[in-house]
Amino acid sequence: MNASPWIIETEGLTKRFGLQRALDGVSLRVGPGAIGLLGPNGAGKSTLMKCLLQLQPISGGVARLLGRDVRSEGREIRRRVGYAPEQDCHIPGLAGCEFVTHCAQLNGLPFQAARQRAHEMLDYVGMGQERYRLCGTYSTGMKQRLKLAQAIVHDPQVVFLDEPTNGLDPKGQAQILELVASLWTSFGISVVLSSHLLHDVQSICEQIIIIARGKVLVHDTLANLQARRRGAAELVVGEGHEEVRAACAVRGWVCEPLANGHLRIDHHAETLNPLLELLHELRIAPLEIIPSPNALEESFVQALQLSHAHP
Amino acid sequence: MPIHNTSYQHWDGVHRNIWQRRAVVAGSSLTACLRVKLLRNVVFACWMTALGATAVLFALGQLLVADSPVVQWVGNFNPQLQDFVKMLTTWLEKHPEISVRTTQNVAFYFYAMFLLRLSIFALGMGIPHLITRDLACHAIVVYYSKAINRWDYLLGKFCAAFGLLALTWLGPLLAAWFLGNLLGPDWGFFWHSRAALGHILLFGLPAMAALSLLALGCSASSLKEKNAAATWLLWWILAGVLVEIGTHTRPWLCHLSFNYNLEQIALGVFHPGADLKLAQDSIPLLGMMLGNVHPETIKALNAPTISGAVVGLGLLLIGAVYILHQRVKPE
Repeated sequence: MNASPWIIETEGLTKRFGLQRALDGVSLRVGPGAIGLLGPNGAGKSTLMKCLLQLQPISGGVARLLGRDVRSEGREIRRRVGYAPEQDCHIPGLAGCEFVTHCAQLNGLPFQAARQRAHEMLDYVGMGQERYRLCGTYSTGMKQRLKLAQAIVHDPQVVFLDEPTNGLDPKGQAQILELVASLWTSFGISVVLSSHLLHDVQSICEQIIIIARGKVLVHDTLANLQARRRGAAELVVGEGHEEVRAACAVRGWVCEPLANGHLRIDHHAETLNPLLELLHELRIAPLEIIPSPNALEESFVQALQLSHAHP
Repeated sequence: MPIHNTSYQHWDGVHRNIWQRRAVVAGSSLTACLRVKLLRNVVFACWMTALGATAVLFALGQLLVADSPVVQWVGNFNPQLQDFVKMLTTWLEKHPEISVRTTQNVAFYFYAMFLLRLSIFALGMGIPHLITRDLACHAIVVYYSKAINRWDYLLGKFCAAFGLLALTWLGPLLAAWFLGNLLGPDWGFFWHSRAALGHILLFGLPAMAALSLLALGCSASSLKEKNAAATWLLWWILAGVLVEIGTHTRPWLCHLSFNYNLEQIALGVFHPGADLKLAQDSIPLLGMMLGNVHPETIKALNAPTISGAVVGLGLLLIGAVYILHQRVKPE
C-alpha cells in the first residue's frame, strides 16, 4: 500500500548522456493532481518522465514513484502508471482495438476484461469505427487518441503524457486537453503533462514544474504563479508624462520613458491599485495599463532564454 | 452512438501474474509470425513430412509381422529388394530390441536433420516479426512502459521463436515417433525406441533454445524487415559455403555456421555411425551397399567435432546476446 502523500519524489536525480547532463540534480516532491511539466524542447522533460518509468536508466540520485523506488520496483510501478510517449509507436499489424487490448493484457488484465476496457477507452477518447483499422493507417489525431487510450486502459493511478497535442489542429488540441483534464477532475487519475506550450499546461494543470537545461526552475501551483507578479507596469497616457514622473519620484518609484512612448513604472506592489490611485490623484485617464507578466510567464521566458543561451 | 456508457470506468479486477503477461508477449509474436502465408505453408509441410515419417516407421514395423502384405508388396516391384527386406525382417525378428532402437535412431537422426533445414528457413520468415518490427515502429517503448521489463520482453520473444521451432521441428518429430510406434505391431516398440525419443529431446531442446537465441539476435540486428530476414538466410547459406571451403583448409571456418555446429552436436547425440555399423555387421547385403559409400562420409558420421561445435555455437550465442543487450532498448 502506498503510504506516501507524494506521487513523485526525486532527490538529486541525474541523467547523463556521455558528457551531457540531461537531468542535473532534480529534486522534487509532487502530490497528486494535474501536473504540468513545462519547458522548451530539449529541457529534459521527456528524460525526466523516462527516468521515472525506468525507460532510461538513472545515472545518479533517487527517484520514487507512488512511494516505490523506480530502480527496484519498476514493473510494479508501471502496472499502476500509464504512459503516452511523444513519438508514434504502435505494434505493427494490429488494429486499434487489438493494440489497446494487447496493452491492457501486458498490464495484467485478463483477455475478456482487456477487450471490454479497450473498447470503453476507445469510446472515451472518441474513436469510432476506425478502431478496426490498422494502426499504421491512422492520422496524427487518431494516433494521439490511441496513445491516450492505451495509457489509461489498465486504470492507472498516474498517467504520463508526453506532448499529447503535438501535430494536432486547434480543435483537436482542445478535445485532447479536455479529455486529459477530465482524468483528474472527474476520475481522480493524476496526470503529468509534458509540453513546450504554455497554453496547454496553463489550461488544465494545477501544479507547474518548469524545467530548463535539466534543472527545475520553478515548482509551484498555477494559482500562486499566476498571482505572483513583479510590482511593475507599462503605462500609456496621452498627456501628462512629466506630472506622472514627478509624482512617481515623490513616492520613490522608478519611472522611465520607453522608446515607444510608454512609461515603465516600478510601483513595488502586487496589485495595480497604488498606480491607479496615483492616476486618480493626478486626474489623468490612462489609455492603457500593461501589468508585468506573472511569475509563470516570466519563468517560462527565463527557461526559453536559458535554453537559447546554451544551445 | 454507443449503447453503453462511454464515460471512464475504473477497473478493480484481479491482475494476471507475470508469467501470463510474458505469455501474452510470446503469443502475440507467434501469431504475428504465423500471419505470413509462406510460413504457414512451411509449418503445414513439416507436419506432412511427419505423416510420411509415420508411414516409413509403420512399414518398418510391418517387417516384423510374418507374411506381411508390405513385404509381399515390396517383392512385386523388385525381387532383389525383396531379398534385402527378408534379411532385414530376419534381423528384426531375431533382435527386435536392438533393431528397432537402431533403425529408429538412424531414421530420426536423418529426419531431424531434414526438419532442421526447414525450420531454419521458417525462422528466416519469422525473424522480422520477432523484434525488428518492434524496434522499427517504436513498439518497444510501448512494451517497456507496461508492467513487464526487458527480461520479460525478451523471454516472451524467445518463447515465440521456440514455439515456432516446436511447430516446425520438435512437434513433427515427436508426432512421427508417437504415431509410428502407435501403428507398430507391438506396444514394445515404444520401449525399444526410447533411445530415439531421448536423443530427439536431448538434441532438440537445447538446439531449439540456441536457434531461438540466434534468431532473436539476428532479428534485433536491423530496423528493416528485409535486412533482418536476409541476414539470417545469407548467414545460413554463406556459412554453408564456408563449411565446404573450410573442411579441407581451415576447419575453424566451419564453426561459423550454426547449422554445421548443430549437425556435429546431433552426430554426437544420435551416434548414427555406430548404429549403421551394427546394421552393416548384421545384414551382409546392407554391408555391401554401404561399402560403396565414400569413406570420408562414414568417417564424418563416426567422428563429429563436438567440442569445436559447442565452442563455435557458444561464441555465436555470445554474439547474439551482445546484440540483444545493445539493441533492445526503448531508445
